[in-house]
Amino acid sequence: MKPNDIFSYALSAIKLRKLRAGLTTLGVVIGIAAIVALLSITQGLQVAIASQLQRGFATDTLIVSTGGGFGIGADSGFSLFVNDTQTISRLENVTAALAVIQRIGYIKTPMGQAFRVTIVGVDFVTYREIYSSTFVAEDGFIPLSPESNAVVVGKRVSDPWRNGTLCCRVGDSVEILWTNTAVRPLRNESYIGNVVAVLQEVGGFSLGGPADNGIYIPISTAQAFFRTDKCEMIIVKLKSDDRATIESTTKAIRDLFGGQVTVTSATAVLNVISNVFSTIELFLAGIAAISLFVAGIGIMNIMIVSLMERTREIGILKALGMKNRTVLLVFLCEAAIIGLLGSVIGVGAGLGLAELAIRVYNVGGFGVHQGGQAGSINIVPVLTPQVFLGAIAFGLLVSLVFALYPAWRASRLKPVESLRYE
Amino acid sequence: MAIVVEAINLKKTYMLGKVPVEALRGVNLKVEEGEFISILGPSGSGKSTLLNLIGALDKPTDGKVLIDNVDVSTLNENELADLRRKIGFVFQFFNLIPRFTALENVELPLAIAGLGKDERRRRAAELLEIVGLAERMNHKPAELSGGEQQRVAIARALANNPRFLLMDEPTGNIDSKNAYEIIQLIKRLNREKGVTIIMVTHDQGLAAEADRTAYMLDGLIVKETVNRV
Repeated sequence: MKPNDIFSYALSAIKLRKLRAGLTTLGVVIGIAAIVALLSITQGLQVAIASQLQRGFATDTLIVSTGGGFGIGADSGFSLFVNDTQTISRLENVTAALAVIQRIGYIKTPMGQAFRVTIVGVDFVTYREIYSSTFVAEDGFIPLSPESNAVVVGKRVSDPWRNGTLCCRVGDSVEILWTNTAVRPLRNESYIGNVVAVLQEVGGFSLGGPADNGIYIPISTAQAFFRTDKCEMIIVKLKSDDRATIESTTKAIRDLFGGQVTVTSATAVLNVISNVFSTIELFLAGIAAISLFVAGIGIMNIMIVSLMERTREIGILKALGMKNRTVLLVFLCEAAIIGLLGSVIGVGAGLGLAELAIRVYNVGGFGVHQGGQAGSINIVPVLTPQVFLGAIAFGLLVSLVFALYPAWRASRLKPVESLRYE
Repeated sequence: MAIVVEAINLKKTYMLGKVPVEALRGVNLKVEEGEFISILGPSGSGKSTLLNLIGALDKPTDGKVLIDNVDVSTLNENELADLRRKIGFVFQFFNLIPRFTALENVELPLAIAGLGKDERRRRAAELLEIVGLAERMNHKPAELSGGEQQRVAIARALANNPRFLLMDEPTGNIDSKNAYEIIQLIKRLNREKGVTIIMVTHDQGLAAEADRTAYMLDGLIVKETVNRV
């Protein structure tokens, strides 16, 4: 029998039981749609986060901080000082080192509103050098030798509701407040700053780099205002972001401070995040695959029922000279048609589902926010050719695998017994 | 004349639960090319079992079936399938595929044999014309009378130019008027087209239409008569 005749014979058998075949196909559609939706959302999320991170991170930087980074433990009393940057900048492969002093405080706008912000003291020139793509003024400009009262504000500090209602703009005098917890009784410190620039929007995350809800003041002002020479972290810019440079410099810095510091590489963090996403992806796809597995059992079920109903027909086909192999192919072809149709519709449905889910997510405001006012991440579902073809191939494969047993049984039917079958 | 089918000491034992049933107990039969033979016997005499063995649908417990001098029992499943294309089956209950039209039903064995669409359509139409159904070829079995369905089945059996037709009670499920027409058709095919026919029946009148009749009883051919020379 010719392949196209096998196909049209299988198709005619499917057409005969449209509802049943339709429902079986629906099972495959749901399975594939679930896989595609979950994968394209996760991949979209990964792409969105990765691009945000790459902007906010600068891959050629190391973050030096005290203590165990994420750990909780006894404090050794070790602190980083602003002038430690001098020692670090002398290391091989280091092009710049920048001390960061930061405190949670408030900014009081000319209109009288107070916003909780992160007050960050940095050297504007070096900061600009390290985060050349994000420490960029949208309005005003960032001075290279700033006045001591110069303030650069993040986008969300200027426009907290994202609707153009600006709470502070370039030229405004703002009051910067901080509660000094080192003295008793606690004392509120404040000074009047002058907004010289509003940063362009950065987006979701940053590691050391500018954030939308930060305000930036010169490091010397921060030292005086917070009455400290200690800094929270030192950002180190490297000559390159290759693995060897990152590793050797990390070790050199650790050695320099006798192992008292934590050195975090932005690239390493990106890799960790990417690994986490791969795991999540695999996990979600695994869950979705269960529904496809159920669909496979549905196919097996319908094929066995069909086999019983068509026992006599199979007997006739065999009496007319059809080979066992051809009977097997007819049944597998039926499953393949259902599997392929279900998979193709499933990919479409899955993308639609992903779009819908993301629209609900974006409109519904479940966005990933950093702090109270930061930008949420815009996700676009991603359907890679691998996922597209993989999903269709997987749907087809599951359909065929589950049809193997019924098809094999059909091919083994004895003509005499099948013809006698009522 | 060449011998088309030969049964040599053919035995078939079924197991009914744990009880062995001897359906055939040593049947010997020769059918020559162009012959029309009927096998007559009451139900349970083993005639359908004999038909299944001759049609290569089943394998004997003992003895041999030779079709064109080839021992059927030596063939594997694939070879048996090929052999069955050289045999035209006509069943009591027609066994047409309900979702196909008369034309498509006749096309089916041709499609199985690997013929192209145009060629098999032409041949199927030709065959339906021979059995007198040229006007009804696009009807499905449910829209045809019993007699018409059996004619479609005969056309289908003839599709691959078989060495012989095997008929199992071909008029058993048809009213007498249509049964008469069917038997006339069978005789015409035999006389005019030289088709070899082996027909199983329990109807004496029908059996007498054949050139020769073999009488079966309890798994044996007990008598043979020549109806006409």
